[in-house]
Formats: sequence, structure tokens, C-alpha cells
Amino acid sequence: MREFLKSTRFKILLAFLAFLVGIMIYAVTKGGYSVSGASFINTVTKPFRIVSNKISMTIEHKLDLFSNSDDYYEENKKLKEQIGQLNKQLTEYDALKTEVEELRKFVSIKEEHEDYELSVPCDVLGYVANDPFMSFTIDKGSADGIKPNCPVVTAEGLIGITIEVSEHVSTVRTILSPDLSIASVCSSSNADYGIIEGSVLTAENGNTKLIHLRLDNKLKVGDLMITTGTSGLFPKDYSIGTIKSIDYDTSGLSMCAEVEPCIDIDRLTSVIVITDFSGKKEDQ
Amino acid sequence: MRIRTTREQRILYFKTTFRWVLYYFLIFFSFIIMTSGTWLKPIFLVPIALAIAIDNNQYGSVFTGAMCGFLIDISCGKLFGYNAVILAFFCIVVSLLFELYLRHKFINFMIISAAVSYIQCRLDYKFYYEIWNYENVERIFTRYTLRVWIYTVISSVFIYLIIKLINHFLMPRAHLTIEEAITTKTQQNQ
Repeated sequence: MREFLKSTRFKILLAFLAFLVGIMIYAVTKGGYSVSGASFINTVTKPFRIVSNKISMTIEHKLDLFSNSDDYYEENKKLKEQIGQLNKQLTEYDALKTEVEELRKFVSIKEEHEDYELSVPCDVLGYVANDPFMSFTIDKGSADGIKPNCPVVTAEGLIGITIEVSEHVSTVRTILSPDLSIASVCSSSNADYGIIEGSVLTAENGNTKLIHLRLDNKLKVGDLMITTGTSGLFPKDYSIGTIKSIDYDTSGLSMCAEVEPCIDIDRLTSVIVITDFSGKKEDQ
Repeated sequence: MRIRTTREQRILYFKTTFRWVLYYFLIFFSFIIMTSGTWLKPIFLVPIALAIAIDNNQYGSVFTGAMCGFLIDISCGKLFGYNAVILAFFCIVVSLLFELYLRHKFINFMIISAAVSYIQCRLDYKFYYEIWNYENVERIFTRYTLRVWIYTVISSVFIYLIIKLINHFLMPRAHLTIEEAITTKTQQNQ
């Protein structure tokens, strides 16, 4: 061993380790952009990951059907009841829609979210291995105009934010993560403010958490929470999720709520990145 | 050692190249599996790097360790280079341990693999979750970190067998077999 420690071989190995530490430090300073090595590997392995992920998701889906058949049966019964109710609502909705369309002729309304600049639809390459907060990678990167800290959405609601961007692949941190805080407000009352921030417990059920609610809030189960847009990181009035349960915070000084995202984050296949919107702050 | 003929030398080069191609194919295949699906998966690349390190020199081991580390960083969304440093270091240590002190036994590999993968999982938990003091963070350790570690240890058995199989056919033998020794002796006498 002593001979090894004095040998040139040892010095070369030590220099290599120092080189690796250097790469790691360099990666820290990149501010969200991948280093070229990671970018190269991501680009080369992208087609294989797409194919493999599709196979894997299919297998998981089939196994899931077998293992949870009882749950699905119960869910199916509930859904049939819901469909009946929804059909009734749909009849009412159609009548209202006709009325609204008539009213629209008299009101000049700007198309919703006209200020948004959207990326092309991005396919989900795969979820980050063993991540409790369901971060995932998408098949678009800086070459498609995506930057770190861009909101990631679907038509149903907000999903998260890009955190690391290489040329053709980006990593997305979801709203299940405790590392992402979003100022939100109840869409119906427009008065009950809070912070959407993931937690370990709620992430286990695929939900996120609403914290710092006032004790005298008027929130109720089923209320939709939307973004306030005050941080400049997310556009205003974008759906996040619905209130599932409300409880006191551990301190007892405020209240918190479990929020069910508008979309199942663990079953995403494609998303859209908002690359720009009015009120966006660049230096986030 | 017996002096090799040019033909034997060529076969040796071919076997060595083919062996490393198979190692890296296995690494690539494991990386693809790790980046697919949503279920918890073992960190295959840790036992692979270690299994390669026990039968190869330090240069090959450290490079493979670093490569596997980089791929873990990409698949697990960690800081690029973080796992590369950890695995490169452990590959040097494991290569030296097996060169100087340990015999090439399955049980030795399993103990080393379990220890290194535990350290890797524990450091990952420490730096990515525990240090940030999330609420109920210990649940991540019991529900994710420990399970991933157990899966990794179980996968080590199969990875050891695969690498052993590759080495059995493609690794140059350090010592002469009895048959080779007899043949060599006969040739010398002639």
C-alpha cells in the first residue's frame, strides 16, 4: 500500500479525482444549464430513452390494471354515477353556453392568455429515477427557446418549472416538490391567499400543500386555487389544483390544506412550456 | 508467464476490446432502464462499476466509475459530477482492496457492494433531502432510500454473475492452467 501511495499511478488517479471535483464545481456555476458532457449524453441517449420509457410505461400500466382491478371497479362505479350527474349539468351548460355566446358579441374580450409565448408540445422522456417529488425530463431544451425557471403546464393546469436545461432535454421540478413555492389565491373568492409548496407527506398521494392560510379563511373542499402572478415566475390566474382537505398548521397560527393538482403528475405524456408572458421577471 | 505468439496477442487484444464493449453495453442498458418508468428502481450502475473494478486495473476502474457516476447523475437528476466523484473514489479503493487484500469471492463482492451502495444512498439522502430539513423527511429515507438500497443489493447478485460470465470468457488468465503448464513444459523440452 505504501508503494502505491508513492507511485505515479496514485498521483494520476488523484489528479483524475481532482478533475472530477472540478467538473462538479463547474456544474454548480452553470446556473441551471447543463454542462456540455451531460448535454451530449442526454442528446445521444434521447431516442433510446424514448423507446424504453414507452415500453416501461406500457408494462407498468398493464401490471397496474391487474394489481388494482378492485380499486378500478369501485372507481368505475363512482365514475358512472358522476357521468350521470355531469350529463345533467351538460344540458344546463349548453343552454348557458348559447346565452354566453350571445353576450360575447357585445363584449370585446381579448383572447385568453394572449400574452403567453408557448413552446411546441414537449413529450415526457421519463421521470427522474427514485425521486419522491416526480421530477421529469422533457424532450425540448435551450434549442427550442426553453430557459431555466420557465413554467410548465398542460391545458388543465400548472405542473412545475424547468430547473435544468440542456440543448435538447430539460428537467422539470413539479409542484409536489418542497423546493417550489407558488403564491396562490382561491379563484372563487379571490381573497384567500396562500403558498403552494409540496411536502413529503402530500407527495406520497400525488398531492401538494397550501400553507400560510389565514385562520379566518373561507376556503372549502373543492375550491380551485390559481396563481397570483405576483412573483413574476408564473403567469397570473393559471389553475393549480383543488382543495382536498383543510386543517390547522402544526404551529396552530395558520391553516394549511392538501391540494390535488389539476392533472395526475405521475401519468404525464406531454406538456407545454411557457417561455414568456407579460409580467415575467427575467432574473429569477 | 509464457511468451505469447502474435496470434495469441491478437486474440488477447480482441478479447479485451470485446470485454470492454460488453461492459459498456451493460452500463448503457442499465442507464436506459434507470431512466424509464415511474417505479422505484435499483441503482444498477453502482454494482456494475464495482464488479468491473474488482477484476481490472485502477485506470480502467476509475474511468468506468466516473462514467457510471455521470450517468447516475443524469438519470437521478443530481448535480453533474457528484456521483462521479463518489464512484470513482470507491472504484479505486475497491480495485486496490481486491488487488492487495481480498480474494475474488462472491461474498466479498456482496459485502463491498452493499456497503458502497448504502454510502451512496445515504449521502444522496443527506445532501438532497435531510440537509434541507423538509417536514417528515425521514419518510423519504424509509420509503425511498432504504428500498432503493435493498433493490440495489439484490440486483448486485445478478450483476456479479453477468460480469463474472463476461470475465470468464474474455478475461486473460493471470496464471497458467495445468494443461497449459504441461504444454509449455513439453514445448520447452522440445
